[in-house]
Amino acid sequence: MTNQEKYKQAFSVLHTSVDFNMEVEKMNQMKKKNKIKTVVASSVAACLVVAGSATATYAADIGGIQRAVQVWIHGDQTQVTVEFVGNGKYNIEYLDYEGNEKHLSGGGVAFNPDGSERPLSEEELMEELTAPQVQYKDDGSVWVYWYDQKIDITDKFENDVCYIQLVNGEDTLYMTVKYQKGSATSPHRYLSPVEFN
Amino acid sequence: MNPPIEILVEKYQNNLYTVAFNVCKNAQDAEDVVQDTFIQYLSQKQEFESEQHIRAWLIRVAINKAKNKTKSFFRRNMQPLEDYIETLKFESQESSDLFETVMQLPQKYRIVIHLFYYEDYSIKEIAEILKLTQSNVKVRLLRGRILLRNTLKEVWADDESREI
Repeated sequence: MTNQEKYKQAFSVLHTSVDFNMEVEKMNQMKKKNKIKTVVASSVAACLVVAGSATATYAADIGGIQRAVQVWIHGDQTQVTVEFVGNGKYNIEYLDYEGNEKHLSGGGVAFNPDGSERPLSEEELMEELTAPQVQYKDDGSVWVYWYDQKIDITDKFENDVCYIQLVNGEDTLYMTVKYQKGSATSPHRYLSPVEFN
Repeated sequence: MNPPIEILVEKYQNNLYTVAFNVCKNAQDAEDVVQDTFIQYLSQKQEFESEQHIRAWLIRVAINKAKNKTKSFFRRNMQPLEDYIETLKFESQESSDLFETVMQLPQKYRIVIHLFYYEDYSIKEIAEILKLTQSNVKVRLLRGRILLRNTLKEVWADDESREI
């Protein structure tokens, strides 16, 4: 018997237990349960945007300085944990679709009236992170992510400017996107492209 | 091609369990990994090119989930490995010795050995699944083999039928 045959024979004794239930219906229910949890959470909590390509659709306090959130990462909603580490910084941990552990981090500062810098508070970071995000994909399409919304704005640009109204429940935001040159939002009106960089 | 989950469960459930057990060394954790892997398949949107692509994806996801499980604070870890091994019905003492020796190898050698000898993957395919270089996989496989030979002596003969 070759080593390979010996190995296969030795490990062929492993089987899932008789109690182990892999019913498809049960798996679908478990998958669905996760989605329902996400939707419920989104109605009571904030929206978070993470480091460019990731946009959160809800945030739930899971104790301490960590928050469990659903974010948009590379076009997929993903469960992540955000940890506020102080000094205006946060770390994000999540598993990608292949189960690989991934980490992101970010942070921000504000300027005092005297021009000096101070780190953003947790609340301010959340506010910064809750703004809708624009993603420019490799295929040329342009997307806006906000809460559980994923909007294709590729064909909405005129003279490299796109105006889009975002509605989530009772919240409305007027968003102006300058192609590859930033975006701005206001709850009251569309900002003119000359009003922001 | 994305076959129905029922077909994949029937075909790969035990392979995923075996590879997950190889990493976790725990039956309950391994079963959790198998379930989580299939739920991940149901949730993902990727279009697979072939059966081989799906198989490699499932195995990669199971290994990653199993590795994460071993790092988790909330491991179920209810039954010691030795107790579980006692419940297994090996065909011979040789098989039992081989199983126990493999499970005592460092995890990084164990996974490579398993993918090579049990799943019949080539060095190149193992490198792709584990996201390692081919030379790294070769080194792990060679070192794993040496450790097996040192412990098992003639049970793990120097008869390698597959070149690496």
